[in-house]
Amino acid sequence: MRLDIARKAVAAGLGLALLAGCGSSGGQDPEGPTELSFWAWAPNIEKVVDRWNASHPDRKVVMSKQAQGDDLVTKLLTSAKAGSGPDLAQVEFQALPTLVSNDVLADVSADAAAVEGEFPEGVWQQVTLGGDGVYAIPQDSGPMMFYYRADLFQQYGLTVPTTWDEYARTARTLRSRAPDRFLGTFSSNDPGWFAGLAQQAGGSWWSIDGDTWRVSIDDAATRKVAAYWSGLVAEGAVDKTPMYTPEWNKALNDGTQIGWVSAVWAPGVLAGNAGGTLGRWAMAPLPQWDAASPRTGNWGGSTTAVMSASTKRKAAAEFAIWLNTDPEAVAALVTDSGVYPAATKAQTGSALEQPPAFFPAQEDFYPTAQKIASTAASFTWGPNVNVAYTAYKNAFGAAITAGTDLVPALSEVQRATIDDMRASGFKVG
Amino acid sequence: MRRALGALPTLVLLVGAAYCLLPVAWVVVASTKSGGELFSTSTFSPGTAALANLGDLSSYRDGLFWRWMANSALYAGVGALLSAALSGLTGYALAKFAFRGRSLVFNALIAGVLVPSVVLAVPQYLLISEVGLADTHLSVLVPSVLSPYGIYLARIYAAAAVPDDVVEAARTDGAGEGRILWSVAAPMMVPGLVTVFLFQFVAIWNNFLLPFIMLGDDGKFPVTLGLYTMLNQGNTTPALYTLAIVGSLVSVLPLIALFLTLQRYWRVDLLSGAVKA
Amino acid sequence: MPSTTSRRRRAGAATPYLFVAPAVVLFLLVLALPIAYTVYLSLFRTEVSGLGLGRGSRREVFAGLGNYARTLTDSEMGAGALRVLGYGALLVPTMLLLALVFALLLDEDRVRARGFSRIAIFLPYAVPGVIATLLWGFLYLPSTSPFAQLLDELSLPEVDLLSPTGIYFALANIAVWGGVGYNTIVLHTALRSIPRDLYEAARIDGCSAWQVALRIKVPLVAPALVLTTLFSVVATLQVFAEPTTLAPLTNSLSRTWSPLMKVYQDAFARGDVHSAAAASVVIAAVMFVLSSGLLRITRSRAFGGER
Repeated sequence: MRLDIARKAVAAGLGLALLAGCGSSGGQDPEGPTELSFWAWAPNIEKVVDRWNASHPDRKVVMSKQAQGDDLVTKLLTSAKAGSGPDLAQVEFQALPTLVSNDVLADVSADAAAVEGEFPEGVWQQVTLGGDGVYAIPQDSGPMMFYYRADLFQQYGLTVPTTWDEYARTARTLRSRAPDRFLGTFSSNDPGWFAGLAQQAGGSWWSIDGDTWRVSIDDAATRKVAAYWSGLVAEGAVDKTPMYTPEWNKALNDGTQIGWVSAVWAPGVLAGNAGGTLGRWAMAPLPQWDAASPRTGNWGGSTTAVMSASTKRKAAAEFAIWLNTDPEAVAALVTDSGVYPAATKAQTGSALEQPPAFFPAQEDFYPTAQKIASTAASFTWGPNVNVAYTAYKNAFGAAITAGTDLVPALSEVQRATIDDMRASGFKVG
Repeated sequence: MRRALGALPTLVLLVGAAYCLLPVAWVVVASTKSGGELFSTSTFSPGTAALANLGDLSSYRDGLFWRWMANSALYAGVGALLSAALSGLTGYALAKFAFRGRSLVFNALIAGVLVPSVVLAVPQYLLISEVGLADTHLSVLVPSVLSPYGIYLARIYAAAAVPDDVVEAARTDGAGEGRILWSVAAPMMVPGLVTVFLFQFVAIWNNFLLPFIMLGDDGKFPVTLGLYTMLNQGNTTPALYTLAIVGSLVSVLPLIALFLTLQRYWRVDLLSGAVKA
Repeated sequence: MPSTTSRRRRAGAATPYLFVAPAVVLFLLVLALPIAYTVYLSLFRTEVSGLGLGRGSRREVFAGLGNYARTLTDSEMGAGALRVLGYGALLVPTMLLLALVFALLLDEDRVRARGFSRIAIFLPYAVPGVIATLLWGFLYLPSTSPFAQLLDELSLPEVDLLSPTGIYFALANIAVWGGVGYNTIVLHTALRSIPRDLYEAARIDGCSAWQVALRIKVPLVAPALVLTTLFSVVATLQVFAEPTTLAPLTNSLSRTWSPLMKVYQDAFARGDVHSAAAASVVIAAVMFVLSSGLLRITRSRAFGGER
């Protein structure tokens, strides 16, 4: 490859003494005690890692929490190019195709095939990308549900919505009774949130047809979702400020926002951002499009993946499997990191017997969550999710600011995604 | 007329000072608030959690914040020191010797100011990885040592502060060039070099992009990068606003202290072209 | 006094080369080589075969000037350049005017609280851009901003600095705040080096303080003013950290608001180093042309008695 030759010439030209370079040969792990590097961001995950280190002193895992989500994907891509990445990383589901197509992730099917049965089918399909290889072990999932301020719902005489029509009505009623409060906000900053809602409606953004990709971000189901929220924003029934800002934090704290369409990991965020409202929130299933067949989507959710450049693949795979299937490890993930495990057994396990600390009154929080999780739609992610997400932020942000309809913005996202795939040489049908 | 305007200039200056102090004042007040108070109390009313916040900051991941501060001190201190030395050496040579290629060297060095660091980030990273230096302290130090601006300042200062006849006299006495540089020119250039040191110290301390690209292990992060990760924890975890705010305050203090102590060396008249030998 | 020729011989011809060697080597390693590599990268692109999901499904392919053609015709780049120009037009005059005013005030003996003001004005220089944007973000967002609170209590209309037009002011303000201190000190020091007797002579002739300031001081600090303008323009065109940090807080900032943000998006979010490289070369070339133009005009003044 030309690039390789150029790089080698450069290195020779520099004439510097080479320090240890990563000469990976794949295949056999080296003998003797080794260290595995692990890039992750889940809160307190280092405590879980400490447990592994205590029982496996010859294969210590060294953690680094330098970036999260998309930032981490970026770093994995750049470090893979340079051959200086970690052995393991926490990777969100939607980033897997991007990393696999850049040959960053190792196929661990030799070691992981045994644990396929531990995870729901929809989840496992996302780590195999529909093929024979296994590119990551599922860690946690993010089925979406609806959170609301139970005390304020009572104060304003609101009923908990079970369908999206009811949600709209409740939003309007709230506005008429309390003009300075909102039932929720539409965030142009959180494409994952919108993707989850599109999944619930039956949207299917990417699909594979032979060796051609098909992109249908603006399919009928997603348009329905965009049009719905567009209407709510236009009539002022919901707020339009982005989530995860100081502004939004304040709104959660002082009751300007009394509801949040979010996912199962919300208790941790609420506890951190709106600690003063402890015990006043409740959780309910997501409002439905069709009450007779409940579905939900996923927002977030991550996996543990082994890098293809790693020289200790076997040990790394062993750690990844341990982290996500060993009962003790998964229980620790739940209690220390506050994640909702993807492993089926763990979802009904002992660690989830008590409701989360932020929802002390909702005894059946996790059983309800488990029921909701079982209705999660499956989804195929494309090789350029990052591009689609950035296009979403730009297009929807501009539409919100200009006060225009969101459906054309959706078409803009579709167009940008297809253009980018074609420009990279993918065959797009 | 003069008396009527008497108070106005002072007032204007004080308003300017207040404008510059406003966010700093905000950060000081906000650092005293606990997480709950941050979003529920009025902006400039003091909170109750100053010491608690400091404690939380120190215990965050077993004192990682102080490691970040130490890293920043390393990168900025060593980097600026080396940078000042290099700038002094190069500036002296450019100012005191008329040699072939002088213009080329100088112009090329200055043109370096024009290249944005974002542009250089990935190629530098790929090249540094090629020699196995990625994710090391050196990967941040080495690119920080070259300061085109520092060389520019040093050149002007050398030209103005080191008289040709002094150099000539030393040569007549038989001193070697190295000796002249070290014993004659360098002492004269100290104020200018301190300026370069201070300038580069701030630039490296505040630099975000270079360490972001080069470093993987968050134990090697400088404090700007560390604070950024505190705020960008992702969707599923709360942003650590309180810690980031207290951290911001603490991270600014060393720079302020440095400036106050080295104030009298701050010879920014170099830039104005008004330096008199 | 020895003649010039014998001086040169005695100095040793190799000395200057030896002295500048470290800087030159470092320059080659840290600047020239990456730039050359960037140019090299800009001539290639990645091609994917099939679904792109297996090993070896990507290859580097020579693309000639294709990346450049795409960059130059990219409407987003053009829009970004215009936005940055607007931002610069707002920022540079404001910051330099403020710096000049502060410097002149600091130079007047009658003005009080000068020591305190000088330190206060210089303080923002110590705050990194990312942190400054966070702090101002809190001050801009309506629910956490004391200004919004104040305007609300005075029943004045709300000013939204995070609207599409307001965002220029929001960003320019952060940059002005961060840069005014440094420029003030530069200009102030320049003023300090003007001999005081010039003013005496003017006062005797009946000039007021105003006139002294406008007619004598300002023209004399013109070289310093020009230099600070140049460096401010260069910094402005490279704006990246502030809009990137502010973008998540508001709907009005796209992730490709400035040209360098687009480069960052291409290189890191899209993983397309090649387009990013081409765009970088274009940006660097434009900046080089602009800056060397400005530098040429100022060079004679900046280098005073050296040449």
